[in-house]
Amino acid sequence: MIFPYLAFMFFCGIIPIGYGILEVRNPSWVNMDGGFETFIKVLQDFRVGPAIINILFLLGIFVPLMIVTVLVVSLLLDATEFRYNKQMRLLFLIPGLIPVAVAVLFWSAVVGYEVVWDKSNIRWLIGAISFSTGIGSWIVIQYGSLRSISQEVLEAGVVDGCNRFQLAWRLKLPMIGRYIAYMVILLIANTLQIFNEPNLLMYTNMTTDWSPSQIAFGYAFKNADFAGGVALSLIMLIPNLILALLFVLNTDFMKKSKTTWR
Amino acid sequence: MEIGAQRRNTRLIKVTLFLITLVASIPFLWILRDVARMMFAPIVYYDNGVFFTWLKNTSIFVFASMGISVASCITAGFVLAVLDVPFRRFLLFSTLATMLIPITAMAMPLYVMVDRLGLNNTLLGLILASSYFPFGAFLSYLYYSSVLPPDLVGMGRIDGLGDFGIYRHLGIPLSKSLISVVTFFAFVGLWNSYQLPRVLLAEPSKSIMSIGIEVFYGQGTTLIALMMVIPSVLLYLASQRTIARGIFSGAVKE
Repeated sequence: MIFPYLAFMFFCGIIPIGYGILEVRNPSWVNMDGGFETFIKVLQDFRVGPAIINILFLLGIFVPLMIVTVLVVSLLLDATEFRYNKQMRLLFLIPGLIPVAVAVLFWSAVVGYEVVWDKSNIRWLIGAISFSTGIGSWIVIQYGSLRSISQEVLEAGVVDGCNRFQLAWRLKLPMIGRYIAYMVILLIANTLQIFNEPNLLMYTNMTTDWSPSQIAFGYAFKNADFAGGVALSLIMLIPNLILALLFVLNTDFMKKSKTTWR
Repeated sequence: MEIGAQRRNTRLIKVTLFLITLVASIPFLWILRDVARMMFAPIVYYDNGVFFTWLKNTSIFVFASMGISVASCITAGFVLAVLDVPFRRFLLFSTLATMLIPITAMAMPLYVMVDRLGLNNTLLGLILASSYFPFGAFLSYLYYSSVLPPDLVGMGRIDGLGDFGIYRHLGIPLSKSLISVVTFFAFVGLWNSYQLPRVLLAEPSKSIMSIGIEVFYGQGTTLIALMMVIPSVLLYLASQRTIARGIFSGAVKE
């Protein structure tokens, strides 16, 4: 039953990664001698440091903001029977349905090109675009998960004297913990891989090598240095894997089917 | 009057009303059609209507990939959550790991593999390369590991169900909301996919919407945004009821 999925996982996931790792050894533009020193050479690229600072800026400000916003909005939507609930969820979702390429141009027009052309705004603009396009789908998922919590459990909480905030903090959030963990991992991974937003703002000449993914893409497709591109991409994968491992080891993320909450 | 006859009459009245309203709104629909034509003409009639080729290619690509990915990832989620499968943790971690890899690292190896299969610059190559949907598989795994208690699976076993029987009689009936959510996110991801089609489809005549519309950037951005959003919004509205019912509504009430 699982064979079709495994076949796709091997051919579209594991084999390409293996191929990429082997390819890193080949002599390339960044490392003429070849070998795994390519991993160190790409890190010595003067563009990588500032790109990592840009990513840390997004990770420090926008990712926590996205997590808090998604959870607060989902909890608020779930807390009361609100007439315009459906419409509000749709409104949050719509920015995420626009292809990123169009969203960047759209947001450039919304904030005004004088704002876009100001270098001090670029980080904020990229963060705002990824924020607006990123929260809607997670609100749909987290709202859906909150709707599934048993009414009996919540009523028991009310009987025990919980107010709405305590219901949310002590019952609802712990019950959807695995979904929250999943969201956190993917939001961080998406931020580490951010490519489209800065790439589409390249017409400003301020975001040419803004993120590590852009630099990796530049290696592979502009300098025809596939080894360098893959090496940098794999380095960027390390924090993701560490984070994923931490979640896997410290939560019940991978436990088999357990007794239902209902 | 019989209840059946009453229902038939009500249905007949509704259909008649609908048809009359439709006929009465023809002038208005005509105006809307002309307005839409005027608005979309620069896009629709660009380069001898290449837009329709992009639309056809996109439809084939999105629906084929979506069908394959949703079917495979929901089944995988069920197997990993409920059945005893060797290397379960490894498979789950691989799913998570492959999801975290930047597409930049994957694009070139996938290009080489598709090229070796002789499928470069074909929709089939793009469909196969895009049908792996680990996000959906992991979501399905989380879903099934939350809603399907071992007791229920055990009862299924006592009733003589095998692995496939449990999936068919327990897994699928419980997964309506899951299928809606996974289908919706698969559709949005494929409809808006950019980097992989860009690498795998070089010829403009074989391109898809998300790549093709690039030629209009800066000319009618809002209109393009509208065109690209409409299908996803319609799908969301169609699946909203099942999504709102709860992604992981359980199978047992205690």
